[in-house]
Amino acid sequence: MIRMLLGMIKPDNGSATLFGRQLNPQFNLWNDIGYLVETPYSYPNLSVVENLKVYYNLRQLKNPNLIEDIIDKLKLTKYKDKKAKVLSLGNQQRLGLAKALMHRPKLLILDEPINGLDPKGIVEVRELLKELADTGSTIFLSSHILGEISKVANRIGIIHEGKLIKELTTAELTSQLIKEVVVETNDNKSALKYLTDFNHHAILNANNEIKISDDAAIAHPENISKLLVEKNLPPKQVYLFTEDLEMYFLRTIRSN
Amino acid sequence: MSGQIKALKAELIKNKYSNILWVTFIAFSLAPIMGGVFMLIMRNPEAMSKAGGLSAKAQVINFSASWNSYFGILTQAIGVGGILVFGFVASWIFGREYSEGTAKDLLSLPTSRTKILNAKFIVYIIWCFALTISNLLIGLLIGTILQLPSMDMNLISGSLKNYLATTVMTILIGTPIAFFAIWGKGYLAPLGFVALTLVFAQIIAATGYGYYFPWSVPGLFSGAGGEYKSKLNLISYSILLLTSIVGYLATVTFWKYADQTK
Repeated sequence: MIRMLLGMIKPDNGSATLFGRQLNPQFNLWNDIGYLVETPYSYPNLSVVENLKVYYNLRQLKNPNLIEDIIDKLKLTKYKDKKAKVLSLGNQQRLGLAKALMHRPKLLILDEPINGLDPKGIVEVRELLKELADTGSTIFLSSHILGEISKVANRIGIIHEGKLIKELTTAELTSQLIKEVVVETNDNKSALKYLTDFNHHAILNANNEIKISDDAAIAHPENISKLLVEKNLPPKQVYLFTEDLEMYFLRTIRSN
Repeated sequence: MSGQIKALKAELIKNKYSNILWVTFIAFSLAPIMGGVFMLIMRNPEAMSKAGGLSAKAQVINFSASWNSYFGILTQAIGVGGILVFGFVASWIFGREYSEGTAKDLLSLPTSRTKILNAKFIVYIIWCFALTISNLLIGLLIGTILQLPSMDMNLISGSLKNYLATTVMTILIGTPIAFFAIWGKGYLAPLGFVALTLVFAQIIAATGYGYYFPWSVPGLFSGAGGEYKSKLNLISYSILLLTSIVGYLATVTFWKYADQTK
């Protein structure tokens, strides 16, 4: 799909449009788009600066500072005269991002942008993407690292077997994630009975934990503790469980 | 036009530190060096009798220790060896983007795919011309060191014209290699194609129909096929030119319209 958006492959049927223009060999808004598809490769015998110069020319850019700026921004200054082949995986990824970002695109299309980055690099890329989004760029990102997506995305689409099966904003996602209060006491059976008597929607799960899923309990888990203490069943643990994007994803594709 | 110049600039930067660049120059310079060895043997009757096979070969192809023979060798090196070396150059220029994984970064840019390919063809032409000029200079140097008999300007200008014409033809017939590099996404297909044309050029030239096989034409023109050169006619050159144009158009069209999955 990303390759389709970049005009690299033709759709089997239908058509793709970007900025309201159909993607065909005549499409010429490529300088509004930056992209990084799968593993970033660079010319191994060229230095970081020279690699960027290749794309500076091919993008027909006219501001030579752009190269220095992006090197600085992606913290590649130390490596700018090093050949691409000796860079670490993380720095190669940075170089790939530098190629995608150098011309300050309106739309950035990224496929697995944090592959191979160290934890610090991941945070840096995340900050960079947020910064870019704050300056008005749209970032279209695909990744199988769902935790990362949930940290940066405003809008999430789930694709399964080539079909978009869900598209929602982060706010909508938050409201759709399963939340439960999980409780454990010394006598879960009695506790379950009391909780049910107090109109809580509680069940005992396979791990012998009580799961309470009604809104009142989720809004005020402390009331559950209070109730159990009053019944002389002080909870060993009470916590609010929230489903993460990965579980949501699996639940969504299973229900399809 | 400025887009084309920028594309050319980008392509030149890419080749700045290519080891292949020097490898091709060194490989191609074997021709004037070997030619020099021939000249040396031809000049020295004593060495000739010792060199056995080599001298027999030198005599068969009707050589004498002269500038004219020497230029003849250099020209044949282009008509026959050039098919291989120029083919190698084209395979590298067009196939590298796939082996280095950078092909996908060239597809969605304001500089059109056609311009990027044109830049590659221009670099290919410059590279091949540089190779032939380098061989000519090495040849002049070796010839001077060997003190070949003084040049007959008329004969030499004819030899130089042949040298240039062979170069142009050998460069022209390289365009289909670019197509095979892009179609095969790497070096393997174009190098295989070069090997195949080389084999067929020999076989077909040997059967006597080489003047209709475009990859044999530069070799025959250079004199490597002896008297067959006289059989070359307008049709031979037209087939060569047509093959070159088809090769170019196929490359550009394929890259512009085919799905890019690598």
